[in-house]
Amino acid sequence: MTSFMLTYSNMKFSYCQHRHDAPDPKAPALEIKGLGVSYASEEKLALKDFDISVPAGSAMALVGPNGAGKSTLFKAICGLLPVRTGNIRVFGHPLGACHHRVVYLPQRSEIDWHFPISVLDLVVMGRYVYLGWFNRPQKRDIDIARHALKEMNVLDLADRQISKLSGGQQQRVLIARALSQNADLLLLDEPLNAVDVSTRQTVAEVLHKIKAQGKTVIVATHYYDQEEGRYDKAIYLKDGKKISGADHKEDPTHKDCDCT
Amino acid sequence: MTHYLTDPLQYVFIQRALVAAVIIGVLCAALGTFVVLRRMAVVGHALTHSALPGLVIAYLMGTSLFAGALIATVATALGIGFLARDENVYEDTLVGMVPNIMFAFGILLISTTRSFRDLFSMLFGNILGVTEGDLHLIMLIAAVSLLALFLFYKELKLFSVDPNYAKTIGLPVKLMHYGILLFLSFTVVVGIQAVGTVLTNALLVIPVAAARLLTDRLGRMMALSCVFAVISAIGGIYLSYYFGSASGASIVMFASLIFAIAWIGSKFR
Repeated sequence: MTSFMLTYSNMKFSYCQHRHDAPDPKAPALEIKGLGVSYASEEKLALKDFDISVPAGSAMALVGPNGAGKSTLFKAICGLLPVRTGNIRVFGHPLGACHHRVVYLPQRSEIDWHFPISVLDLVVMGRYVYLGWFNRPQKRDIDIARHALKEMNVLDLADRQISKLSGGQQQRVLIARALSQNADLLLLDEPLNAVDVSTRQTVAEVLHKIKAQGKTVIVATHYYDQEEGRYDKAIYLKDGKKISGADHKEDPTHKDCDCT
Repeated sequence: MTHYLTDPLQYVFIQRALVAAVIIGVLCAALGTFVVLRRMAVVGHALTHSALPGLVIAYLMGTSLFAGALIATVATALGIGFLARDENVYEDTLVGMVPNIMFAFGILLISTTRSFRDLFSMLFGNILGVTEGDLHLIMLIAAVSLLALFLFYKELKLFSVDPNYAKTIGLPVKLMHYGILLFLSFTVVVGIQAVGTVLTNALLVIPVAAARLLTDRLGRMMALSCVFAVISAIGGIYLSYYFGSASGASIVMFASLIFAIAWIGSKFR
């Protein structure tokens, strides 16, 4: 019986049938060529003819007003939206080959915060990609989740019901879930939007730490002017197209965002 | 005093009804937890009502009522999913409209037979009329559905709280959605046996709604819903035995009473 249990606990039934490929060390973390993306029922492309190459280990800002296509780009990279034209390669592999290496931090509004689970339960979900079907989270997974909560300074909230969190706490918890996935490419969608000053500081420290670990981070942000120093490079988006930094500065609409 | 509890048990049909009610209650409450949390309560409503024409056709053809109801509910579930792809047909309108159409179709069919006696048990259930064969089928469906819930519990949880994240880590979310609809159809068909097409949705939703008022944890909520459903089922049958009331309606009224108590309890917590 014991030997059966041991064998069973070592068995893996991955969510995805693709092989989990090791990253190609020479390939950039993210390489996109001629990408066109549209939402399911719409003819119009939300992102057009987009090219980008992000070297592994760098931090990049994705800057642009609401509706510029920042979330669309992230959603295409993690497979939430179908690629209409062009292609995306992550660590040298086509999409879907290495789910666990990419993590997407959604905007807070996309989560059902009234669902009856605790903060720790939600953060442990960051480990599911490694567990696959039928395996329950082990002590190791719980430890990793608790460590991620500690890094975000919210370990004391571990047992709290997720509906009882402030906006800043929700953001910290979601980032903790992303951290516990231990991905190599992090796509953070507006992590600093409408959060308190201390959360902003914690997020900045953690981003710094992630980068020091050799991971790649892309942050969609409204706050680029204030934190330019934190990124190696910025890409500017407008109406689903890449524009130059100079064009962005001249564009009167970029001041319209609710940056405060 | 205790003879009030034991008296009904001397009848085999009451024993069978109680066993069936307990199994149906647990199944409805366990699956109902995800139905409520995924905001699918109206879909449950649509499916329960849509079983009627299937029941009637099976009755007229003299084949298994279970099979008839199952085919009708699964077809409706898939039909709603298919029609909702057209963005000019709103999904909530569809979910409101389809059960009316199916229900009317069922009534139309039964009216041609000029026998409304059997319609009554289809609409309002007849748990006291459960046969040995029905009971076996109920057990089989419950065992398969509860096993599926147990095996995919973790994934269902993630899929309900954050479907986008579930998709990014490679979970087959479309398949899971249809899977839930399929098991919901199974459960509905079993529930119809107890409380009929009109009231089955109540058994899926009311015990869960009551449990949600009292706890913030999914596991506890599921366990509490099952307890409430079982109490309602047993209570309803005794009520029906002593007062000659319709068994299905008695079960639902018992569940509603529990909800009322839970609501008051939650205000004083």
